[in-house]
Amino acid sequence: MKLVGIAGTIEDHSYNRTLLKFMANHFSDQVDIEVLDIQDVPLFNQSDDQTDGAPVQYLKRKIEGADGVILATPEHNHTTTAAMKSVLEWLSFKIHPLAGKPVMIVGASYFDQGSSRAQLNLRQILESPGVDANVFPGNEFLLGNVRDAFDDQNNLKDDKTISFLSSTLKKFLTFVTTINDMNAKVAAADWESEDLGAHGHVDTTIDGLDMHAADWVDQATKKTNAVSGDTYVRLDCGVLTVDQLNYFLNSMPMELTYVDANNQFLYYNHQTDPENMSAKRAPAQVGNPIEDCHPKRAIPHVKQAVHILRSGQTDLFKLPVPSDGSKADMHYYQAMHDKDGNYAGINEFVLDILPIVKYYLGLTGQKLVKDPNATDALTGASKKSDDAKPDDVSGASANTDEAPAEKPAEEPKPDVDSVSGASANN
Amino acid sequence: MQKFIAMVGTNSTNSTNRKLLTYIQRHFADKAEIELMEIKDLPLFNKPEDRKVPAVVTEMANKIDAADGVIISTPEYDHSAPAALMNALEWLSFHITPFIDKPVMIVGASYGALGTSRAQEHLRQILDAPELRARIMPSSEYFLAHSLQAFDDDGNLVDEQNIKKLDGLFADFQIFVKISDQLKNAHGANYEEVRNLDWNK
Repeated sequence: MKLVGIAGTIEDHSYNRTLLKFMANHFSDQVDIEVLDIQDVPLFNQSDDQTDGAPVQYLKRKIEGADGVILATPEHNHTTTAAMKSVLEWLSFKIHPLAGKPVMIVGASYFDQGSSRAQLNLRQILESPGVDANVFPGNEFLLGNVRDAFDDQNNLKDDKTISFLSSTLKKFLTFVTTINDMNAKVAAADWESEDLGAHGHVDTTIDGLDMHAADWVDQATKKTNAVSGDTYVRLDCGVLTVDQLNYFLNSMPMELTYVDANNQFLYYNHQTDPENMSAKRAPAQVGNPIEDCHPKRAIPHVKQAVHILRSGQTDLFKLPVPSDGSKADMHYYQAMHDKDGNYAGINEFVLDILPIVKYYLGLTGQKLVKDPNATDALTGASKKSDDAKPDDVSGASANTDEAPAEKPAEEPKPDVDSVSGASANN
Repeated sequence: MQKFIAMVGTNSTNSTNRKLLTYIQRHFADKAEIELMEIKDLPLFNKPEDRKVPAVVTEMANKIDAADGVIISTPEYDHSAPAALMNALEWLSFHITPFIDKPVMIVGASYGALGTSRAQEHLRQILDAPELRARIMPSSEYFLAHSLQAFDDDGNLVDEQNIKKLDGLFADFQIFVKISDQLKNAHGANYEEVRNLDWNK
């Protein structure tokens, strides 16, 4: 589990920062706590929006990437500090990275109170709708008389204090898991609102056409004066003619499909007849809402899949399609985003990985053997959602666990001796 | 004539709280001399080890010292007073004591319906802290809700009820300032106590 900690102060020396650093060190066997710096965050000013500046974006990125947050607040004038409040104002103005985040409050003070009022006040701020955090209830950790609390190594001296902090943190870690599970369930429940009929509108939607028309591509070309043939198009890192783009896309060793953020099917690299394709497409389908491209029974799973990508629960999920062993088709659904990070649709690519696997095995002198410990071999994506059958969909099972970032448990190590031409490079 | 400082509780360029204080300044011009005070040029409080406050803070503290009372108008951000106002009050209580026993009236304006109710409660709690120890006028709240629609083109409040309520509270505040002046028996002790409060000792 990964947490980030913020001490609500820009003082050079702060016991609240010391407390967070102690927690990060002392509990490093249970949780990864990264202490973030707010030194460069300017005082909030709604007339001088610095949301896009590096210090605020840094906090946003770190918080979004964390499972939970620990805030350590000093108490100034019976309340939390301006430095802490200012950070929270930035994080509730144009962006809301703390929304739904599990947050634990701790605090240290010079005298007996241990920041009691600041903590209550901070709790109230965190629960306001702009911040919308999930604050860990009860379990107040108030560190009073802080000047005598740490030894020379910045470790808490008192065993009872450490043991209380430890039990509090343990409970918080459970709270983090619980809240994040709840958030995932709530988000997953939203999938039903996914409009596969493409009744919505995005900036690039070509209006006034019948999406179901067989000649949609021609109609859309006419309507937009779309360029074709030898007209040059400027891309991010190159200039190609439309013909060249087609040569390029059509020679990709996989089937590519473009679905926009409005769930409209806009393009595929038309390589061959539908019968020979893994994910069957025909030219007349282009322009259709994706609802038209799936059997009715598959619709709920497609909705879940699109929603998972749109809501950012994962950027890619993979779906192996079972076969007789002559092929190993993989369907990949990759979320696309514009330069501002807004969801822009799905890049679906389908390829048979069996030739690649065979080539690799041949190259390295290895063979496939059954893993006696494997429990869920190729029934599809899903351990959790038993109702999702891969053959339902030309796509998708709703399974957030199928995140792309996962590495295989063991990376195959090339056997240098069996590779022709490779010399051991040690 | 009584002299008041009207502290704008935000660093925002456009603020209906500033507008409200400007109105108060003009509307009560024959009853009190009111000077607007901005908090927008202060650095973020960092508790400097040399205990020096910026020159602009000293200037503000002197003005508050010299005034008979302070009117603070606060926006509400995230159910509480804005960081900018908390920041100003942190500086104004850092080894300086302009607010001790100073009569304070709290008002607030918000775009929505609640009129900064929670920010005002928060501000009371802050002003009650030992280093500030202001005399906040009790049992008085002035919420200017829907503040974008509350003023006419000349910056005057349009709603008669709003004006009437403000007139009453301001008259009370003028009396409260006089009463507070008699509540000075503990002032010396308060002052000494705060002067001797040293968080670093």
